[in-house]
Amino acid sequence: MNLRVFLLCTGLIVTHLLLHVALGLGRGAPDLAVVALLLASRALGSAGGAATGFVLGLLEDAFSVVSFGANVFAMSVIGAVAGRTRELFVGDSIPFLAVFLALGKWGRDALVWLVSDTGGRGPFNDSILVEGPLLALYAAAAGLLARLLFARGPLSR
Amino acid sequence: MAGQSRERGEGQRRDLLLTVGVILASLIVLNLPPGSQRSMRQLLRETVLSPLLEINGAIARMRERALDFNVLRAQMDSVTGLVAAGRTLAEENRQLREALALRGRGTHEVAAVTVIRTGTPGAESAFLLDGGSEVGIRAFNAVATEAGLLGQVQEVFPGRSVGFDWSHSDFRVAAMTPDGRAHGLVQVVRGGFREQDRLILRGTAYLSELGPGEELLTSGRGGTFPRGIRIGWVVGPAEASAGWSRSYYVDPAVYPGAVTHALVYLERVADTVAVVPDSGPRQEQGVPR
Repeated sequence: MNLRVFLLCTGLIVTHLLLHVALGLGRGAPDLAVVALLLASRALGSAGGAATGFVLGLLEDAFSVVSFGANVFAMSVIGAVAGRTRELFVGDSIPFLAVFLALGKWGRDALVWLVSDTGGRGPFNDSILVEGPLLALYAAAAGLLARLLFARGPLSR
Repeated sequence: MAGQSRERGEGQRRDLLLTVGVILASLIVLNLPPGSQRSMRQLLRETVLSPLLEINGAIARMRERALDFNVLRAQMDSVTGLVAAGRTLAEENRQLREALALRGRGTHEVAAVTVIRTGTPGAESAFLLDGGSEVGIRAFNAVATEAGLLGQVQEVFPGRSVGFDWSHSDFRVAAMTPDGRAHGLVQVVRGGFREQDRLILRGTAYLSELGPGEELLTSGRGGTFPRGIRIGWVVGPAEASAGWSRSYYVDPAVYPGAVTHALVYLERVADTVAVVPDSGPRQEQGVPR
C-alpha cells in the first residue's frame, strides 16, 4: 500500500468514526469504514484486507448490545473477498470502482443481517432490499468522491 | 522462473492461511460468551473510542443547554404547580393509609444522566449513559425522561452504562391504565419496514375495552419498572382473542432519537422480584409481605 492510499483510508476511517460515533449521525452519514476497507483491501490483498476488516469490525461492534461480532465477521469476509479481487480485476476505472464499492457495502450489510441476533436485526425487506441498495449507492458515491479528490492513480500497486 | 513461481505459490498459500485464520478468529469473536463480549466492548469504549464518546457527550450537553429558556420556564412552572397541589394530597394520602394500616409508599431515588447515542450498525436501539455504578445505577434499572419511559439499563460499568430503549425487540414492560381498570404487557412489534415498528399492549382483559387516547403507565408488576411512569397512549385496537383478551396499538410518550437527558430510577430490583419461600423465617429477615 502506498502512502497516498494509506492516508486516504486513515482519513476515511477517522471521518467515519467522527460522523457516526462522535456526532451520532447514523444512516445520515455514509459508511466510510467499508469504503476504506474496500480500498485498503485492493492494495493489501486478502490477508491484509481480512485483518483490516477484523479491526474495523471490532470498533463498530463496541456499541452492539446483542450481536457483538456480527460486524467483525462481515468486515473480515468482505476484506478478504475485496483483497482477492485485485487478482481477478485489473484497473481502477470509475465504473468498476462504483460497482465494487456498492457491492462491497451491500454485501457487508447482508452478511451482518445474516449473522445478527434475530431479535435485534431489522426486517429483511427493509434492511437488505430497500435500505441496503440505497446505503450502498450512498457509500459508493462518497467513496468515489474521496478517491477522485484525494487519491488519483491506481490503488493496487 | 521456477524459483519465482514457487515463491509466489508459497506466498499465496501463506496469504490464504492468514485469511482463513482471521475469518476463524472473527467467528470465535461472534461466538464468545456474553461476559467476554461485554469486557471487549467495554475495553474498546474506554480506550480507542473514549475521546469520540466524550465529544458525543459534550454535544448532547450543549444541545440540552441550547433549549429555549421560555420552554424550560413553562415546564418549571407546571412542575411547581403540581408540587404545590401534591403537598396537601400527600398528607391526605398519608392519613388515609395510616387509617387503613397500610405501609407508606416508597419514594423514587433517581440519578440524572446524559444520553449518548452512536450511529454505528447494530446499535440502533442502544444508548450509553454518562453515569455508572458509582452513582448507584444497576442492570435493569428503568430509564425515563420528563415525558415518560425511555428504556432499561443493561450493562453497568464505572462511569458509564449501556441500555436499550423501547424499540428493542427484547423490551417488555407491565402496563396499566391510571385507574387500574386494564393491565397488560407493552412490547414492540416489528413491521415489514423499520418505520412500521409499533408499540403494542397485549393481554388486557376482553371486557375492559380501552378507547383511543387513554394513557398507559407502568404498573410495577415484576418489580423492574417502578409504578406510575408514563409509557404512552392507546391509539386503537390491534387484535382480539375471541372472548379472552384484547391488544391495542400504543403511541409512545418518548421518541428515543430526540432524548439527550434522562433519569435512571435506582430502585433495587432484587427487593421486589426476589422469590421468598412461603415457609421459613420470613418476618425475621425483614422481608415485607
